[in-house]
Amino acid sequence: MSQVNRLSQGGRIDRSRQLHFTFNGKPYVGYAGDTLASALLANGIDIVNRSFKYSRPRGIVAAGAEEPNAIVQLGSSEATQVPNVRATQQALYEGLTARSTNGWPNVQRDLMGMVGKLSGTFMPPGFYYKTFMAPASLWMTYEKYIRKSAGLGRSPTEPDPDSYDHINQHCDVLVIGAGPAGLAAAVTAARNGARVILCDEQEEMGGSLLDSRELIDDSPAVQWVDRVIDELAAMDNVTLLPRTTANGYHDHNFVTLHERCTEHLADSAPASGSRRQARSRMHRVRASQVVLATGAHERPLVYANNDVPGNLLAGAVSTYIRRYGVAPGQKLVLSATNDHAYRAALDWREAGREVVAIVDARANPQGDLVAKARTLGIPIITESAVIEAKGAERVSGARVAKIDATRFTVAGEVEELACDTIASSGGYSPVIHLSSHTGTRPTWRDDILGFVPGEVKGLTSVGGARGVYPLDDVIRDGIDGGRQATQAAGLDANAVTGLVPQVSAREDGAACALYQVPHLKPSMRAPKQFVDLQNDVTAAGIELATREGFESIEHVKRYTAMGFGTDQGKLGNINGMAIAARCLHRSIPEVGTTVFRPNYTPVTFGAIVGRHCRDLFDPERYTALHQWHVEQGAEFEDVGQWKRPWYFPRTVNGKKETLHEAVARECLAVRERVGILDASTLGKIDIQGADAREFLGRVYTNKWAKLAPGRVRYGLMCKDDGMLMDDGTTSCLGENHFLMTTTTGGAAGVMEWLELWHQTEWPELDVYFTSVTDHWATMTVTGPDARKLLAELTDIDLDKEQFKFMDWREGTVAGVPARVFRISFTGELAYEINVQANYAMHVWTALFKHGEKYDLTPYGTETMHVLRAEKGLIIVGQDTDGSVTPEDLGMQWAIGYDKPYSWIGKRALSRSDTRRTDRKQFVGLKPKDPKVVLEEGAQIVFDPNQSIPMSMVGHVTSSYYSPTLGHGFALAVVKGGHERMGETVYLPMVDGKVHEAEIVSPVFLDPKGERQNV
Amino acid sequence: MSDVKEFDTRPAGSPSAESPLAWSFHRRGTPPREAGAGVTLREKAFLGHMVLRGGAIVLDEAVREVLGITLPARPNTLALDDSGERSIQWLSPDEWLVIVPGGEEFALEGRLREVLGQAHYSIVNVSGGQTVLTLRGEKARETLMKSTPYDVHPQAFPVGKGVTTVFAKATVILRRPTEDTWELVLRRSFADYCYRWLLDAAAEYGVTVER
Repeated sequence: MSQVNRLSQGGRIDRSRQLHFTFNGKPYVGYAGDTLASALLANGIDIVNRSFKYSRPRGIVAAGAEEPNAIVQLGSSEATQVPNVRATQQALYEGLTARSTNGWPNVQRDLMGMVGKLSGTFMPPGFYYKTFMAPASLWMTYEKYIRKSAGLGRSPTEPDPDSYDHINQHCDVLVIGAGPAGLAAAVTAARNGARVILCDEQEEMGGSLLDSRELIDDSPAVQWVDRVIDELAAMDNVTLLPRTTANGYHDHNFVTLHERCTEHLADSAPASGSRRQARSRMHRVRASQVVLATGAHERPLVYANNDVPGNLLAGAVSTYIRRYGVAPGQKLVLSATNDHAYRAALDWREAGREVVAIVDARANPQGDLVAKARTLGIPIITESAVIEAKGAERVSGARVAKIDATRFTVAGEVEELACDTIASSGGYSPVIHLSSHTGTRPTWRDDILGFVPGEVKGLTSVGGARGVYPLDDVIRDGIDGGRQATQAAGLDANAVTGLVPQVSAREDGAACALYQVPHLKPSMRAPKQFVDLQNDVTAAGIELATREGFESIEHVKRYTAMGFGTDQGKLGNINGMAIAARCLHRSIPEVGTTVFRPNYTPVTFGAIVGRHCRDLFDPERYTALHQWHVEQGAEFEDVGQWKRPWYFPRTVNGKKETLHEAVARECLAVRERVGILDASTLGKIDIQGADAREFLGRVYTNKWAKLAPGRVRYGLMCKDDGMLMDDGTTSCLGENHFLMTTTTGGAAGVMEWLELWHQTEWPELDVYFTSVTDHWATMTVTGPDARKLLAELTDIDLDKEQFKFMDWREGTVAGVPARVFRISFTGELAYEINVQANYAMHVWTALFKHGEKYDLTPYGTETMHVLRAEKGLIIVGQDTDGSVTPEDLGMQWAIGYDKPYSWIGKRALSRSDTRRTDRKQFVGLKPKDPKVVLEEGAQIVFDPNQSIPMSMVGHVTSSYYSPTLGHGFALAVVKGGHERMGETVYLPMVDGKVHEAEIVSPVFLDPKGERQNV
Repeated sequence: MSDVKEFDTRPAGSPSAESPLAWSFHRRGTPPREAGAGVTLREKAFLGHMVLRGGAIVLDEAVREVLGITLPARPNTLALDDSGERSIQWLSPDEWLVIVPGGEEFALEGRLREVLGQAHYSIVNVSGGQTVLTLRGEKARETLMKSTPYDVHPQAFPVGKGVTTVFAKATVILRRPTEDTWELVLRRSFADYCYRWLLDAAAEYGVTVER
């Protein structure tokens, strides 16, 4: 099919560049400069979709972001599928592949359409709720079929080949919209030296001037557009962003702009030279001032069958003719309430097509455009409107009648005019969506019959966005707004001279208010009069909602779905509010508006995610020994953002060890010979100052007054509620110098905690904290042979009398200065070697060189967990959960109730609740069946025969199989557990089994600590 | 403060050392040199890094005497010596970062402690915990804009400025010692993430890594 509706001349398209595309599987041709919508119209495609709820055939209505019907699925391959694209906003490119998003099995022959047609009148608002509510269990079944017939496109099932970008921008003035007002504002701000960003959602900047009939400085308006853009483009302080939609206006003038970098070129971003480019870019703009120059959307009139293909907005008709060289029909009837709409008829006539009539709701339209229409001999029928469109898959006629808008009745005979296109205009609604994102409520203005933006700090609205429509006023308003914004940004704004261009003033007559057009039948009986085409909301639906008691416009919205989802009420909201107001006998401002929410138009997930995906999804923190672990084939565990070796599987007889096998081997290696752990992830904080010791005494529960240089002590840190928050060892390096260690996950939190208490409660204490977590690499050498191994590499005297358990010494290890701490998290003889991280690999590999003869075995976090649990050593966050006190853990020995100065958590530990004797207390559990390894998290009961729900008295916090003990064992919290040693508890499992276990001491191995104290 | 345990963590001999980016270079290699690359990265490894904490007046005197640099007292500023090899950066109202050529840090700490005597302050060597990565090239600023919400426009980020800020999902110290050089001070454990992020973000401009 050739381009039947393409005009032989005119438009901003390049007729020398043909572009091939397919729509619903059929090939078509358009031109460079087309949108998908203009190319479809040029090819005479009437039906582009089926409607959401009633499956009615739908055609293109608008030419911009407000298009409700032409929503397509884009993409020639599975991986490049993009749903929810407005054909009116999608530039045509060679090979573009699009499909309708609705219609099953297809738009022409639609099964649900049968249902829609038959049951249309039986599908009032709330239909789905009312029909499918009961039985609730069947909703899942209904939903499958409803989803198939409804919905707005689908997501791809294959990975996206493209990359997406975020960029942070800062500016003095962000101008949204590059129509006459936006261009004037931007150039004014830029000439005054402001950092300016000008964004516009269309392929070309210029806005309404791209299809304007008007002259600026005696030449076509687009020439002024070109001049201004050239000037802006040459300025260093200006960033021009075409194809960029301002989608969200957030607090503090933070605005998200979505730039479609390559979506006008291909499905998937083409490489630029050899370099990959981003498909789209999210600009995260922090603007001192925002200028809203988003213009206005034309409101359609609400008349019967106003959704039949061939019903268009008047302005869209002009845009298609003047900008794209497409006249979407042959015979036009225009139904209007204002002068500006007359452009459509004039353009139609100039394109060589027939204007059957202009039907004007006003009694006596006057104005330059009206006069021009009269001169051309176009029939004008006054005090009338199109009350109903005829036709099924394309308009075939318009039923026209005299109407009485105030009494909402048809006031005369109905005449049917044969036509294939009906254009309507009920006036203009400023595009206030973005200002509404901030939470401000818009203000109704009777003089322009529309809402204008409410007040927002740092926002200036200009031109159509605030109801200023005549071109000369718009440009002047843009200049004023640009100047105001520049000044508000703190700059001098007087540099602009001689800018105001000359626009021949046009006389426009006053518009009249008309939203829903009365029909011979009441709304409930008349053919459907659509308010929100995208969500299939009708005037009757709104009327029904108000009759059923939904009086708040927010309730009406939710009951009918008006302005829902991706539509955000662009086309229908004002009409809907007007209808609700009429039904409720209120004024429009009394009814008010619903809240418009981000995003203004749909944004792909890719654009939102940016490059925070795949291997850049989240930071991975590595220790200085990471490369070694990777090369040894370690399996890794995430601990916060750290990657820690979990276990080191070996290949035995060609088979890779399982976690269980590797951990059993690693455990025995430590208990029998010597193992090594990369403990670098532990938090480390250097503390200096005359009051460092005093400070430690206040943040830890235990005593620090007598810890001598060279000694190490384990400490417990509580929150002010007395619950354990972190633990670790702190070493006295000098009288005024300590090194604190924290848990891996708690490091940053503890650092903040110390600063918080120092800065807000005890600023008089002379102490400073500095994180040294990354500076030191920590290697734990542990096991009976640890001393022999270390002795080969160090100049430190390792004699057990000279270097005792809980001592630290400095010296060198493998030639590298090292601090060695004799602390043990395994219960074995252990040395924690700390060296500057840059030398860690050298020391580590030296240890392995010497360790070969001792079978030095690297072990990971899993083995570490088993070994420490055998010793009853807790892990904060695993064995505690923010509701466990040091006493609950049986650690009375680490609480200094008699310290001279109070400490964090002390008072809370004397509360009646923390003194209860039946608190959940930390114990060991020995399963009666030695083969059983209890489930972590399993609930504990005293009596397994009680009726359900049982009283649960505790739970398992850690549970492992111990290769050393030869049986499973667990740590747990049990009510009053400390006094229940030897008692039996029960653990009922989901599969009906009940495990039995004996309450024992949490220290399963070497209770006297002889192994670590050798 | 006296009664602090000073400790030179740099070995006397020359055992092999690995900078925080060693693994990144090993794993990914470095992008092939490309004509017209918009961004050039270079690690300045093994420098001496120290965190100085204390009152500005006390520290200023000592720093001027020992290093010949006036302590930058204004927030988010950076001061360099004439050679540009030694710098002090404001980090917080009582915290500064000193970066000097590798090997100078321990002696410097000793001299500062001598001058500071019994005053209340702390000096902590963090040389193993961080590294410096320089960004140059006409697209260096755009690459930073993709990475940090901080305003890096020359008007807002003149030479001599330095801030601690968000970088992708990590934290870095970002500074501008000269007209055409940006420096990122990366924490060791986050260095690989930041490096991978930079390679990805700068890919469209072309990126070269100098070794």
